[in-house]
Amino acid sequence: MIRPLLRLLPAERRPAVTAYGALTLSSVLLRAAGAVLLVPLVRELFGPRPVGALPWLGVLTAVTAAGWAVDTLAARRGFELGFGLLERVQHDVADRLTEVRLGWLAGNTAQARAAIASGGPELVGLFANLLTPLAGAVLLPAAIALALLPVAWQLGLAAALGVPVLMVALWASGRISRRADALAADTNSALTERLIEFAGTQQALRAGRRVEPARSQVGRALAEQHGSTMRLLLLQVPGQLLFGLAGQVALVLLAGTAAVLTVRGDLTAPEAVALIVVVVRYLEPFTALAGLAPAVETVRASLARVHAVLAAPTTPQGSAAGPGRAPRIEFEDVDFHHEDGRPVLRGLNLTLEAGTTTAVVGPSGSGKSTVLALLAGLLSPTRGRVLVDGVDLAHLDGAGRRALTSMVFQHSYLFDGTIRENVLVGDPGAEHGRLDRVLGLARVDEIADRLPAGLDTRVGEGGTALSGGERQRIAIARALLKPAPVLLVDEATSSLDTENEAAVAAALTAGAGTRTGVVVTHRPATVRTADRVLFLEDGSVVEDGTVEGLLGAGGRFHRFWQQQEASAGWRLRAEQAGGR
Amino acid sequence: MTRGFQGAVLRGFGARDHQATVVEKIRLAPHFVRVRLVSPTLFEEVTAGPAAWLRFWFPDPDGGATEHQRAYTITEADPEKGAFAVDFVLHEPAGPGSRWAATVRPGARVPVMSLGSTTFEPTDEPPAGYLLFGDAASIPAVNSILRALPHDVAVELYLEEHVPDDRLIPLATHPRLRSHWVPRDGGAGLAAAVEARDWSDWSAWIAAEQTTFKLVRTRLREEFGFPKSELTGRAYWIHGRSMGKLRDDPAGGKAALPEIAAARPPTGDELAGDELADGGPTAAGPAAPREPAVPAQPGAPSTPAAPARWRSQAAGRLLAPVRGALLLAGLLQVVVTVLQLAPFVLLTELARRLLDGADDARLRAVGLLALGLLGAGTVLGAALTLWLHAVDARFARDLRTRLLGKLARLPLGWYSTRGSAGTKKLVQDDTLSLHYLVTHAVPDAVAAVVAPLSVLGYLFAVDWRPALVLLVPVLVYVVTMAVMMVQSGPRIAQAQRWAERMGGEAGAYLEGQPVVRVFGGAAASTFRLRLDEYLAFLGDWQRPFIGKKTFMDLVTRPATFLWLIATTGTLLIVTGRMAPVDLLPFLLLGTTFGTGLLGIGYGLGGLRDGMLAARGIAVTLDAEELDTRPGTGTADQDGPPGTVVFDRVAFAYRPGVPVIRDVSLTLRPGTVTALVGPSGSGKSTLAALLARFHDVGGGAIRVDGCDIRSLTADELYTRVGFVLQDVQLVRGTVRENIALAVPDASAERVEAAARAARIHDRITRLPQGYDTVLGDGAQLSGGERQRLTIARAILADTPVLVLDEATAYADPESEYLVQRALDRLTRDRTVLVIAHRLHTVTGADRIAVMDDGRVVEAGTHDELLAAGGRYHRLWQADGARSVPDGPASGLPGAGRPDDGYLGTATEGAIR
Repeated sequence: MIRPLLRLLPAERRPAVTAYGALTLSSVLLRAAGAVLLVPLVRELFGPRPVGALPWLGVLTAVTAAGWAVDTLAARRGFELGFGLLERVQHDVADRLTEVRLGWLAGNTAQARAAIASGGPELVGLFANLLTPLAGAVLLPAAIALALLPVAWQLGLAAALGVPVLMVALWASGRISRRADALAADTNSALTERLIEFAGTQQALRAGRRVEPARSQVGRALAEQHGSTMRLLLLQVPGQLLFGLAGQVALVLLAGTAAVLTVRGDLTAPEAVALIVVVVRYLEPFTALAGLAPAVETVRASLARVHAVLAAPTTPQGSAAGPGRAPRIEFEDVDFHHEDGRPVLRGLNLTLEAGTTTAVVGPSGSGKSTVLALLAGLLSPTRGRVLVDGVDLAHLDGAGRRALTSMVFQHSYLFDGTIRENVLVGDPGAEHGRLDRVLGLARVDEIADRLPAGLDTRVGEGGTALSGGERQRIAIARALLKPAPVLLVDEATSSLDTENEAAVAAALTAGAGTRTGVVVTHRPATVRTADRVLFLEDGSVVEDGTVEGLLGAGGRFHRFWQQQEASAGWRLRAEQAGGR
Repeated sequence: MTRGFQGAVLRGFGARDHQATVVEKIRLAPHFVRVRLVSPTLFEEVTAGPAAWLRFWFPDPDGGATEHQRAYTITEADPEKGAFAVDFVLHEPAGPGSRWAATVRPGARVPVMSLGSTTFEPTDEPPAGYLLFGDAASIPAVNSILRALPHDVAVELYLEEHVPDDRLIPLATHPRLRSHWVPRDGGAGLAAAVEARDWSDWSAWIAAEQTTFKLVRTRLREEFGFPKSELTGRAYWIHGRSMGKLRDDPAGGKAALPEIAAARPPTGDELAGDELADGGPTAAGPAAPREPAVPAQPGAPSTPAAPARWRSQAAGRLLAPVRGALLLAGLLQVVVTVLQLAPFVLLTELARRLLDGADDARLRAVGLLALGLLGAGTVLGAALTLWLHAVDARFARDLRTRLLGKLARLPLGWYSTRGSAGTKKLVQDDTLSLHYLVTHAVPDAVAAVVAPLSVLGYLFAVDWRPALVLLVPVLVYVVTMAVMMVQSGPRIAQAQRWAERMGGEAGAYLEGQPVVRVFGGAAASTFRLRLDEYLAFLGDWQRPFIGKKTFMDLVTRPATFLWLIATTGTLLIVTGRMAPVDLLPFLLLGTTFGTGLLGIGYGLGGLRDGMLAARGIAVTLDAEELDTRPGTGTADQDGPPGTVVFDRVAFAYRPGVPVIRDVSLTLRPGTVTALVGPSGSGKSTLAALLARFHDVGGGAIRVDGCDIRSLTADELYTRVGFVLQDVQLVRGTVRENIALAVPDASAERVEAAARAARIHDRITRLPQGYDTVLGDGAQLSGGERQRLTIARAILADTPVLVLDEATAYADPESEYLVQRALDRLTRDRTVLVIAHRLHTVTGADRIAVMDDGRVVEAGTHDELLAAGGRYHRLWQADGARSVPDGPASGLPGAGRPDDGYLGTATEGAIR
């Protein structure tokens, strides 16, 4: 846990870490000294002249006070480090997320989300509330054992040997418990899944009149699980008892050793009593350690999540600058596979001339959106190259790549803020006139006119305060405002109204000639605005030409076109309605 | 000026003075004024959330030097301008607050503090209703509660009338409020006025004079059975007492209305119960003009015969079968805990014998006894663990079996209102918490309580003096903690909200990553800003506490206890007041007892979580089921099947909030009826009633003459099928999924249905065709899954079908195919369709226009357009957004296109 932690701390904090470490170590030594000081103190108290204990009490007081002072300093440093850690971790993760490969993110969403939102307060207290007690609990018994050696070497030796034994007992105890819990959880979750599925498919089951059979099936699984749970029960016991038993046995053995040494005459009775007290001190930290285990586990898991994000694969970057004008785009033998290996694009070759607009159509799963994502630099080809004016996209630097494309996404994601702020994301420094023109083209002005707060209306988290169509028009305005030489529009799954259709068409035609445009669509009106149509199927281009040309050829695109026109005018039972 | 002890305590808690200046004073009633103030600094500290209140320091009404602290609810707040208001009841003889308010003029200044004020959020699961009690003094708080309460919850308000003018004080409005004014009658009036009825699942809040408060509380608890957790409130003031000294009724004067001790809502620690289950008040805008008492609403029948039941007591009912076992386990754990402490006691004994110079045998006896007790403790502990797990396994099995049975009988609407996440929480998380409750929480809690307490008892028995000293650090800890809690005030709740909010923001940031990457910095800035705000919040809140936290930690450390014991013991021994041997138990057991004592609360936390989970499950098990009534109509089998009659149907999700009102509608066999109307008009609910997602609240729905409530589920769903947006596939092969309702259907029939639903070709391209197991991996796209369920409905072939028209365009990429499948599905059936887009249902035989739960118009498209009513307006509004009308099948030169271009893999490169 320590090393990943140190890696997360900013370099300028390293000296603070060293100081904190030194303070913590001094604190442990002072506490060990305090424990061992009990030997002379108790010896004097039980001896013939108890007053002799007073000087020792004075020393103990001094040591305790010093301990307080050191611990106060250590805690202060610890909290400072904790705040530093929190800030650093949160910012690092937020920064890193913008570079991590999207494919990785898609497969690790929960982890990434937890890493970024995870436990502020815990991280703040990590040093002072967790590491300090942890260091104390681990080091204190060893320190006490060492300090005992000169007083009674047999006892000191036994205590020193006890340290690893008890540590192993503690570790084993936790491990056995966790394994037992994991086993129980496995059988449990299998059953829970059945129950959730049963609950989640009630509509289907009832409509299908299958509730009773399904219920008895799950019921049988319940009965079976009960049998296996009963068999697992014995596993629960050792984990729960092992450590407690070890600690108590150690207590009895060490106290017994002291007693034996007294009987043999190696120790006086007051000394033995004092040593028994010290033995109890020596065992205390182990119990504390056992209590810290769950917190350590939690923190370790959350640091591991942070580390996973920071170590995740990133999109490659080069150093070339991007083109300043509408570029010619080439796909050279491009393959793209999902993270799980499923192929999406196979050997795709195409050339999009500078300043043209191309429509990509095709059935769901044909790879249309992937083509756009590759162009936007959101995904990288598994094999082959994407060239922009002859330069490999992978060789562009970060700024060059960002400046290259503007995009309207399938799901028009907006950020919490006003409509104006969301549009200005496209070009924060955009001048007034240009903003107004873009708002008009994308028909955002009509939305603003309807709203009491106009452009200053908040869109809500993720844009949820607006309708899907309104969100999309704002997203179009945002994309139009960005002065990028490549414009990508993905409306593969959006179901647009006529107003938005017009907005998309305006977006595509507005920059004709000055931008290279690619639009993924299933909508005839949008296809019409393109200079060229590519029909994609199973990750390769099967038809390529102008709208008129392809319609005339009577192939796949022709059929697609007919279906789209038919579904646009579809009415429920239209052909039967007239008869009644 | 002096503020006395109270002032010192507040100062000790870190309360800070803010100067507020009076802006204006408005008389809202003859003896009720609102004072508006402004303070530039107050809102740096105060969160103007619901339930906020302030402490004012008023000058002494008799002209003395003392300032008096009085608390008042904030009735208006504008944090940006630093403006706020509080309301006062004016009365004679006047106390400091009343006197100040009576005489104050704009421009006057008054010191204000904020400390201990908490904010209130209505609970996620509102009670059946809120029962509120108050008087003139608590009306500001009552008003703010009324404004915070959800509008669909019933509210009964009982107000105590001290002077006739009380009735003129403006009350806030609430759509389901019934208010009752009751003369004071020496304090007994209010309690006596409460209606005798079934108050099951109601939540009560009382803020009244002390005598009244006590009488009301007693009646609610003893007569109506209110559980502690559903009773909150406090006595606002005490009749006949003011400012700590008694004021006599002035001779010849009218009845005195004494000073109100604190016109603020109760805080957590003042509550009668331990949880704030219902409303505290909220910050409020200006009071609305007074409304007459709302007449009694029907639908709250009084059934005093049945004992009232509260959801909050449900956990107890659920755990009843294991209560005995848990009690026994607790007792056994007491024994185990004590046995685990025994070695320490024996060590003292060993020391005593060593000091006495005892012989080997006597020493060995101690050792053997220690080992014996150790063995006994271990065996008993193991047995306890084993036994509890066995008890839990049986309990969990029984519980799940009950849950399984319940899930099969709950109305389908229960699932749609709860969503899959809610169901999952119940089935998965709550059962897991329950497992922890039964197997671990009880012994853990017992050990956490028994261990430190028995140590404390033992040490006190040995010598009370050092034992008492050991309590000092504990006390210091508790006080410091309390100060921190009070200083944190609303920030504890805010931190919770921040954490939730950041969780949401992080999710949004991840979801928006593609946008962030294309648009760069500006797109990410909102999240960055929020992140920085969150970190700043944490810093502002936590940094000032570093010192206190460190102090608390140091004070309760073993080293500190050790030093305290050593010092006290040494001094007592040296002065001859204590035998040295008596110090040993302290040295052995006293050092960790502080942490043990402070850990009690933590140990009890597990119990609380478990009880909440138990409550969730118990409430589900108590939920109403669909039952089958004896037939109320005669089956009418003449002619083609599929006649559906809605006969004066009414329905409400919550009593008193009707969603469907008196709808009568007949669906003739083989016709299509479309329900249209704005969202919230009840069209989806009405359709869901036909599929019996809920039972009607009034009237009846009959299919072929049979009331659907008289049909078993299987009988009903042979007649009524449904295809909704929520696509549900069950575990199994494609074939099993299509043939769900007809398991013995031949392969040909299954294929025919699949072809009719335009999904056959897609199925044949799956790895194992019809025998492909669904469920793992996204094998089918949304539109494909939809067509699969349409194939299922075609094969089930019910005469009546409920259809959500949104399925037709839920997946634009295969819209066309879904539409063809729907064309086939709706053929020769009685169809009730929920229509979202008007143009798709223009061909329906009948269109029923719904508004506010009623059918306001019905007819064909042409008839309705001609009528120029509601439908006409909807059509015009919709027209702009609709695809222009056109003949569906009039494409030149082409027959019907087939589904030849269907894709294979799911597109999901970017999510």
